[in-house]
Amino acid sequence: MGDVKLAMIVQKPQYKGETSRLAITHAISYQTVEILLEDGDTVTPKLCFVGEGVLGIQKGQNAMELYGITSTESHMKNTLLVDLDVLVCKEDLDRYGIPEDAMPDADEMGADKKIQVVPYAEIQKAMEEAKHVLFF
Amino acid sequence: MKLGVFVSDFKLTVDTLERLTAEKLGLILVQNGVYHATTKENGKSSPLLEKTTNLYALSEDIQIRGLKVADVDKRVKVVNYSDVVDLIFNDYDKIAWL
Amino acid sequence: MGILTIGCYPGLVGNMSYDFCLKLADAAVGKGHKVNIWFSGNATGSIKSHQKHLKDYSTGEKHLQALIAKGVEICTCEACTVARGIQKTEGIEGVQWNAMHWYLAKVHASDRVLLIGGE
Repeated sequence: MGDVKLAMIVQKPQYKGETSRLAITHAISYQTVEILLEDGDTVTPKLCFVGEGVLGIQKGQNAMELYGITSTESHMKNTLLVDLDVLVCKEDLDRYGIPEDAMPDADEMGADKKIQVVPYAEIQKAMEEAKHVLFF
Repeated sequence: MKLGVFVSDFKLTVDTLERLTAEKLGLILVQNGVYHATTKENGKSSPLLEKTTNLYALSEDIQIRGLKVADVDKRVKVVNYSDVVDLIFNDYDKIAWL
Repeated sequence: MGILTIGCYPGLVGNMSYDFCLKLADAAVGKGHKVNIWFSGNATGSIKSHQKHLKDYSTGEKHLQALIAKGVEICTCEACTVARGIQKTEGIEGVQWNAMHWYLAKVHASDRVLLIGGE
């Protein structure tokens, strides 16, 4: 069957419900899915943030200190470490007044991958190219 | 793409839906989404009903709310779970839940 | 016949999206399709056995058992489940326990995927 592309779309803000965090951890699990698949089969998610989903991914989070849980920022760094494509809707960042440089990176952990701030049209394209679309 | 979208809320999903486009878009109104098919706000039908001509509402979720199939906007086809399964497999190649 | 994989995240009690998931699965398997269900988030609380059916609340156990008997594969996210204080010995028989990659593997082989998010 080869590669199956997924578009995982996060449309809810983090730190109230669990769904938006689960989107990130489910996407990261693409790295270990091969143990359950035939040789040559892969799953390739694109993790996309739209609407209110862009609100909770900014740098400087203190979830561990304040609530004893892993921050969304930390999860985002892990997505970059495992080379996931992460797309964030530029129009929605602009709508909420969030600058692009507020997006976290994982440079200090040695990740080459960066969060990509893209027009919504790119996220629509990711949905069209994917076999399955998953809204979180 | 042929995208079938389950709309399960009356208000909360409109923002996401406004931007979604598809070569063929179907809206399957379930749970509180059925109010889009049955309720007029200030005398106006839900703008969602203008989004596509492929509109469905789940019979069980209409009736559980004390609404009647006769209350459903004429543009919306009333379906049951079995019909929904057929829509999923025969009419759309991707499905999403909002 | 096709393969449908449903990711179900809302809790059994407090959200009727869970009920929708089970009814859709039953309808699909009744039409001859293969169905997989992945429980994550609050939905994992529903795999605990010995549920009492009070009429103000939805019930999951007997429906899950019926779906398993019809060949539906049901798997709960182990991390989400133990985080809610539920151990494997307390789970409904026939429900599988695994990690998120179980879900992605089923998605890989599926014709249709429906993710029903929580909240």
